[in-house]
Amino acid sequence: MTALRFDTYDWSGGREAMLRFGRDAGPIVIAALPLFAEANRTRQFLVTILRELADHGIGSVLPDLPGTGESIVVTGETRLRDQRTAYTELAQQLGRNIYGLSIRSGALFDTDAALAGRWQLSAQTGEDVLRELDRARVASRSARASDTDYAGNTLSREMLADLRHATPYAGTGPLRGARLESDPRDADVKYAASPLWRRSEPDNDTVLAQILANDVSHWIASCES
Amino acid sequence: MLVIFEGTSQVETTVRAVLADILGLSADRVAAFTADTPLFGALPELDSMAVASVLTELEDRLGILIEDDEIDGEMLETFGALVQFAASKALV
Repeated sequence: MTALRFDTYDWSGGREAMLRFGRDAGPIVIAALPLFAEANRTRQFLVTILRELADHGIGSVLPDLPGTGESIVVTGETRLRDQRTAYTELAQQLGRNIYGLSIRSGALFDTDAALAGRWQLSAQTGEDVLRELDRARVASRSARASDTDYAGNTLSREMLADLRHATPYAGTGPLRGARLESDPRDADVKYAASPLWRRSEPDNDTVLAQILANDVSHWIASCES
Repeated sequence: MLVIFEGTSQVETTVRAVLADILGLSADRVAAFTADTPLFGALPELDSMAVASVLTELEDRLGILIEDDEIDGEMLETFGALVQFAASKALV
Protein backbone atom coordinates (compact mmCIF):
# COMPACT_ATOMS: atom_id res chain seq x y z
CA MET A 1 0.00 0.00 0.00
CA THR A 2 1.26 3.45 -0.87
CA ALA A 3 2.63 5.44 2.02
CA LEU A 4 1.36 8.95 2.55
CA ARG A 5 3.56 11.95 3.27
CA PHE A 6 2.78 14.98 5.40
CA ASP A 7 3.34 18.31 3.71
CA THR A 8 2.19 21.93 3.84
CA TYR A 9 1.27 24.60 1.33
CA ASP A 10 1.20 28.38 1.55
CA TRP A 11 -1.58 30.59 0.31
CA SER A 12 -2.08 34.35 0.63
CA GLY A 13 -3.95 33.87 3.93
CA GLY A 14 -1.50 31.53 5.66
CA ARG A 15 -0.12 28.00 5.70
CA GLU A 16 -2.16 24.80 5.78
CA ALA A 17 -1.31 21.11 6.08
CA MET A 18 -1.82 18.57 3.32
CA LEU A 19 -1.33 14.87 2.72
CA ARG A 20 0.54 13.69 -0.38
CA PHE A 21 0.20 10.33 -2.10
CA GLY A 22 2.26 8.79 -4.88
CA ARG A 23 4.25 10.61 -7.54
CA ASP A 24 4.99 14.36 -7.56
CA ALA A 25 5.21 14.51 -11.36
CA GLY A 26 2.76 13.82 -14.13
CA PRO A 27 -0.94 14.44 -13.62
CA ILE A 28 -1.64 15.42 -10.02
CA VAL A 29 -5.03 15.17 -8.36
CA ILE A 30 -6.21 17.71 -5.78
CA ALA A 31 -8.77 15.95 -3.62
CA ALA A 32 -11.49 17.87 -1.81
CA LEU A 33 -13.63 16.60 1.06
CA PRO A 34 -17.16 17.87 1.66
CA LEU A 35 -17.86 20.65 4.15
CA PHE A 36 -18.72 20.13 7.84
CA ALA A 37 -19.85 16.75 9.27
CA GLU A 38 -19.69 14.94 5.92
CA ALA A 39 -15.91 15.48 5.84
CA ASN A 40 -15.51 13.20 8.88
CA ARG A 41 -17.66 10.52 7.31
CA THR A 42 -15.78 10.44 3.99
CA ARG A 43 -12.16 11.17 4.90
CA GLN A 44 -11.02 7.57 5.27
CA PHE A 45 -12.86 6.66 2.07
CA LEU A 46 -11.21 9.49 0.13
CA VAL A 47 -7.78 8.54 1.46
CA THR A 48 -8.42 4.96 0.28
CA ILE A 49 -9.23 6.27 -3.21
CA LEU A 50 -6.01 8.34 -3.23
CA ARG A 51 -3.88 5.34 -2.20
CA GLU A 52 -5.47 3.35 -5.00
CA LEU A 53 -4.79 6.18 -7.47
CA ALA A 54 -1.13 6.14 -6.43
CA ASP A 55 -1.06 2.43 -7.29
CA HIS A 56 -2.36 3.46 -10.73
CA GLY A 57 0.63 5.84 -11.02
CA ILE A 58 -1.32 9.02 -10.29
CA GLY A 59 -0.09 11.29 -7.50
CA SER A 60 -2.44 13.34 -5.37
CA VAL A 61 -2.72 15.85 -2.54
CA LEU A 62 -5.41 16.18 0.10
CA PRO A 63 -5.14 19.74 1.43
CA ASP A 64 -6.68 21.12 4.58
CA LEU A 65 -8.54 24.18 3.36
CA PRO A 66 -8.72 27.15 5.78
CA GLY A 67 -11.13 26.23 8.59
CA THR A 68 -10.92 22.47 8.00
CA GLY A 69 -8.75 19.65 9.36
CA GLU A 70 -5.73 20.96 11.27
CA SER A 71 -6.27 24.57 10.15
CA ILE A 72 -5.92 27.23 12.84
CA VAL A 73 -8.72 29.24 11.20
CA VAL A 74 -11.72 28.80 13.51
CA THR A 75 -15.04 27.59 12.09
CA GLY A 76 -16.79 30.87 12.87
CA GLU A 77 -14.31 32.77 10.70
CA THR A 78 -14.25 30.30 7.82
CA ARG A 79 -15.43 31.55 4.43
CA LEU A 80 -15.98 29.63 1.23
CA ARG A 81 -14.39 32.59 -0.57
CA ASP A 82 -11.10 32.02 1.30
CA GLN A 83 -11.27 28.25 0.82
CA ARG A 84 -11.64 28.81 -2.93
CA THR A 85 -8.68 31.18 -2.94
CA ALA A 86 -6.49 28.68 -1.06
CA TYR A 87 -7.51 25.90 -3.49
CA THR A 88 -6.79 28.10 -6.51
CA GLU A 89 -3.36 29.15 -5.22
CA LEU A 90 -2.45 25.55 -4.37
CA ALA A 91 -3.40 24.47 -7.91
CA GLN A 92 -1.13 27.21 -9.31
CA GLN A 93 1.80 25.97 -7.22
CA LEU A 94 1.35 22.36 -8.29
CA GLY A 95 1.75 23.31 -11.94
CA ARG A 96 0.10 21.87 -15.03
CA ASN A 97 -2.04 18.76 -15.54
CA ILE A 98 -3.87 19.27 -12.28
CA TYR A 99 -7.19 17.48 -11.87
CA GLY A 100 -9.84 18.13 -9.24
CA LEU A 101 -11.44 15.17 -7.46
CA SER A 102 -14.27 16.03 -5.11
CA ILE A 103 -16.93 14.39 -2.98
CA ARG A 104 -20.26 16.20 -2.43
CA SER A 105 -19.79 19.88 -1.47
CA GLY A 106 -16.06 19.46 -2.13
CA ALA A 107 -17.09 20.40 -5.69
CA LEU A 108 -17.65 23.99 -4.51
CA PHE A 109 -13.94 24.76 -3.90
CA ASP A 110 -12.41 24.43 -7.39
CA THR A 111 -14.55 26.94 -9.29
CA ASP A 112 -11.78 29.53 -9.74
CA ALA A 113 -8.85 27.16 -10.27
CA ALA A 114 -7.20 26.49 -13.63
CA LEU A 115 -7.65 22.72 -13.75
CA ALA A 116 -7.19 20.24 -16.59
CA GLY A 117 -10.43 18.56 -15.54
CA ARG A 118 -12.86 17.88 -12.72
CA TRP A 119 -14.18 14.55 -11.41
CA GLN A 120 -17.07 14.85 -8.97
CA LEU A 121 -18.83 12.27 -6.81
CA SER A 122 -22.41 13.27 -5.97
CA ALA A 123 -21.72 17.00 -6.30
CA GLN A 124 -24.08 19.32 -4.49
CA THR A 125 -24.79 23.05 -4.39
CA GLY A 126 -24.32 25.43 -1.49
CA GLU A 127 -28.09 25.67 -1.23
CA ASP A 128 -28.24 21.87 -0.68
CA VAL A 129 -25.63 22.24 2.08
CA LEU A 130 -27.65 24.99 3.78
CA ARG A 131 -30.85 22.96 3.59
CA GLU A 132 -29.16 20.00 5.30
CA LEU A 133 -27.72 22.27 8.00
CA ASP A 134 -31.22 23.62 8.65
CA ARG A 135 -32.66 20.11 8.70
CA ALA A 136 -30.11 18.97 11.30
CA ARG A 137 -31.05 21.93 13.46
CA VAL A 138 -34.79 21.20 13.22
CA ALA A 139 -34.31 17.47 13.88
CA SER A 140 -32.17 18.11 16.96
CA ARG A 141 -34.77 20.58 18.28
CA SER A 142 -31.82 22.33 19.84
CA ALA A 143 -32.48 25.55 21.65
CA ARG A 144 -31.14 27.95 19.11
CA ALA A 145 -28.41 30.10 20.61
CA SER A 146 -28.44 32.31 17.54
CA ASP A 147 -29.43 32.07 13.90
CA THR A 148 -25.82 31.31 12.97
CA ASP A 149 -25.63 28.23 15.22
CA TYR A 150 -25.98 24.97 13.28
CA ALA A 151 -25.96 21.73 15.27
CA GLY A 152 -22.94 22.81 17.25
CA ASN A 153 -21.16 24.76 14.51
CA THR A 154 -21.23 28.52 14.61
CA LEU A 155 -21.02 29.79 11.07
CA SER A 156 -20.51 33.38 10.06
CA ARG A 157 -23.16 35.28 8.12
CA GLU A 158 -20.56 35.73 5.41
CA MET A 159 -20.07 31.95 5.12
CA LEU A 160 -23.83 31.42 4.93
CA ALA A 161 -24.07 34.10 2.22
CA ASP A 162 -21.15 32.54 0.30
CA LEU A 163 -22.92 29.16 0.39
CA ARG A 164 -26.32 30.51 -0.61
CA HIS A 165 -25.12 31.28 -4.12
CA ALA A 166 -22.39 28.65 -4.50
CA THR A 167 -22.63 26.10 -7.29
CA PRO A 168 -20.08 23.65 -8.68
CA TYR A 169 -17.95 24.72 -11.66
CA ALA A 170 -20.05 25.20 -14.77
CA GLY A 171 -17.43 26.38 -17.28
CA THR A 172 -15.68 24.62 -20.12
CA GLY A 173 -13.24 21.75 -19.86
CA PRO A 174 -13.43 18.05 -19.05
CA LEU A 175 -15.87 17.21 -16.29
CA ARG A 176 -17.07 13.78 -15.18
CA GLY A 177 -19.90 13.45 -12.70
CA ALA A 178 -20.45 10.20 -10.82
CA ARG A 179 -23.39 9.44 -8.54
CA LEU A 180 -24.83 6.49 -6.66
CA GLU A 181 -27.55 4.42 -8.29
CA SER A 182 -29.97 5.42 -5.54
CA ASP A 183 -29.61 9.07 -6.62
CA PRO A 184 -32.17 9.98 -9.32
CA ARG A 185 -30.18 13.00 -10.59
CA ASP A 186 -28.31 12.91 -13.90
CA ALA A 187 -24.74 11.63 -13.96
CA ASP A 188 -22.11 10.43 -16.44
CA VAL A 189 -21.83 7.19 -14.50
CA LYS A 190 -23.66 5.60 -11.57
CA TYR A 191 -22.41 3.03 -9.09
CA ALA A 192 -24.40 0.88 -6.67
CA ALA A 193 -23.27 1.75 -3.15
CA SER A 194 -24.42 3.24 0.11
CA PRO A 195 -23.93 7.00 0.76
CA LEU A 196 -21.10 7.06 3.31
CA TRP A 197 -21.54 10.82 3.81
CA ARG A 198 -24.89 10.24 5.50
CA ARG A 199 -23.82 7.34 7.71
CA SER A 200 -24.50 7.97 11.39
CA GLU A 201 -21.07 6.47 12.18
CA PRO A 202 -18.05 6.99 9.87
CA ASP A 203 -17.32 3.92 7.73
CA ASN A 204 -15.33 2.99 4.65
CA ASP A 205 -16.09 1.20 1.38
CA THR A 206 -12.86 -0.19 -0.02
CA VAL A 207 -14.60 -1.93 -2.92
CA LEU A 208 -16.20 1.30 -4.11
CA ALA A 209 -12.90 3.14 -3.55
CA GLN A 210 -11.16 0.73 -5.93
CA ILE A 211 -13.88 1.10 -8.54
CA LEU A 212 -13.81 4.89 -8.34
CA ALA A 213 -9.99 5.04 -8.47
CA ASN A 214 -10.18 2.93 -11.61
CA ASP A 215 -12.77 5.27 -13.10
CA VAL A 216 -10.72 8.37 -12.23
CA SER A 217 -7.50 6.89 -13.59
CA HIS A 218 -9.07 5.89 -16.91
CA TRP A 219 -10.75 9.26 -17.22
CA ILE A 220 -7.47 11.13 -16.56
CA ALA A 221 -5.71 8.92 -19.12
CA SER A 222 -8.36 9.83 -21.71
CA CYS A 223 -8.00 13.54 -20.86
CA GLU A 224 -4.21 13.33 -21.22
CA SER A 225 -4.20 11.48 -24.53
CA MET B 1 -37.96 15.17 -12.90
CA LEU B 2 -40.90 12.80 -12.97
CA VAL B 3 -40.88 9.91 -10.53
CA ILE B 4 -43.65 7.35 -10.77
CA PHE B 5 -44.12 4.82 -8.04
CA GLU B 6 -46.13 1.67 -8.44
CA GLY B 7 -47.31 1.84 -4.89
CA THR B 8 -46.54 1.71 -1.23
CA SER B 9 -44.43 -1.44 -1.56
CA GLN B 10 -41.84 0.46 -3.56
CA VAL B 11 -41.81 3.27 -1.01
CA GLU B 12 -41.44 0.65 1.73
CA THR B 13 -38.45 -0.88 -0.07
CA THR B 14 -36.86 2.56 -0.33
CA VAL B 15 -37.45 3.35 3.37
CA ARG B 16 -35.88 -0.01 4.33
CA ALA B 17 -32.85 0.66 2.13
CA VAL B 18 -32.40 4.18 3.51
CA LEU B 19 -32.53 2.97 7.13
CA ALA B 20 -29.96 0.26 6.34
CA ASP B 21 -27.65 2.69 4.54
CA ILE B 22 -27.82 5.58 7.00
CA LEU B 23 -27.83 3.61 10.24
CA GLY B 24 -25.40 0.94 9.03
CA LEU B 25 -27.88 -1.87 9.79
CA SER B 26 -27.62 -5.26 8.13
CA ALA B 27 -29.99 -6.18 5.32
CA ASP B 28 -31.32 -9.05 7.45
CA ARG B 29 -32.12 -6.75 10.30
CA VAL B 30 -34.09 -4.20 8.24
CA ALA B 31 -35.79 -7.02 6.29
CA ALA B 32 -37.29 -8.16 9.61
CA PHE B 33 -38.85 -4.73 10.29
CA THR B 34 -42.66 -4.83 10.41
CA ALA B 35 -45.13 -1.96 10.56
CA ASP B 36 -45.04 -2.14 14.36
CA THR B 37 -41.23 -2.12 14.74
CA PRO B 38 -40.38 0.90 16.92
CA LEU B 39 -37.77 3.29 15.49
CA PHE B 40 -37.01 6.59 17.27
CA GLY B 41 -36.06 5.87 20.87
CA ALA B 42 -35.69 2.14 20.16
CA LEU B 43 -32.76 2.15 17.73
CA PRO B 44 -29.67 3.63 19.39
CA GLU B 45 -28.26 4.37 15.91
CA LEU B 46 -31.20 6.70 15.19
CA ASP B 47 -30.15 9.88 16.99
CA SER B 48 -31.33 13.32 15.98
CA MET B 49 -28.52 13.83 13.46
CA ALA B 50 -29.37 10.46 11.89
CA VAL B 51 -33.03 11.50 11.70
CA ALA B 52 -31.98 14.51 9.62
CA SER B 53 -29.93 12.26 7.32
CA VAL B 54 -32.73 9.68 6.93
CA LEU B 55 -35.28 12.34 5.99
CA THR B 56 -32.98 14.10 3.55
CA GLU B 57 -31.97 10.82 1.90
CA LEU B 58 -35.68 9.91 1.57
CA GLU B 59 -36.28 13.27 -0.10
CA ASP B 60 -33.50 12.63 -2.60
CA ARG B 61 -34.47 9.04 -3.45
CA LEU B 62 -38.24 9.57 -3.59
CA GLY B 63 -38.13 13.02 -5.17
CA ILE B 64 -40.25 14.47 -2.35
CA LEU B 65 -39.95 17.57 -0.19
CA ILE B 66 -40.48 17.33 3.57
CA GLU B 67 -41.32 20.62 5.31
CA ASP B 68 -39.61 21.29 8.62
CA ASP B 69 -42.94 21.65 10.45
CA GLU B 70 -43.94 18.14 9.30
CA ILE B 71 -41.08 16.59 11.28
CA ASP B 72 -42.43 15.22 14.54
CA GLY B 73 -42.07 12.22 16.81
CA GLU B 74 -45.10 10.40 15.44
CA MET B 75 -43.75 9.92 11.92
CA LEU B 76 -40.67 8.24 13.36
CA GLU B 77 -42.38 6.21 16.05
CA THR B 78 -42.61 2.99 14.05
CA PHE B 79 -41.43 1.66 10.70
CA GLY B 80 -45.05 1.59 9.53
CA ALA B 81 -45.57 5.27 10.44
CA LEU B 82 -42.45 6.32 8.51
CA VAL B 83 -43.50 4.32 5.42
CA GLN B 84 -47.00 5.80 5.62
CA PHE B 85 -45.62 9.32 5.88
CA ALA B 86 -43.21 8.79 2.94
CA ALA B 87 -45.98 7.21 0.85
CA SER B 88 -48.32 10.12 1.56
CA LYS B 89 -45.68 12.46 0.11
CA ALA B 90 -44.59 10.25 -2.80
CA LEU B 91 -47.91 8.86 -4.00
CA VAL B 92 -49.74 12.05 -4.88
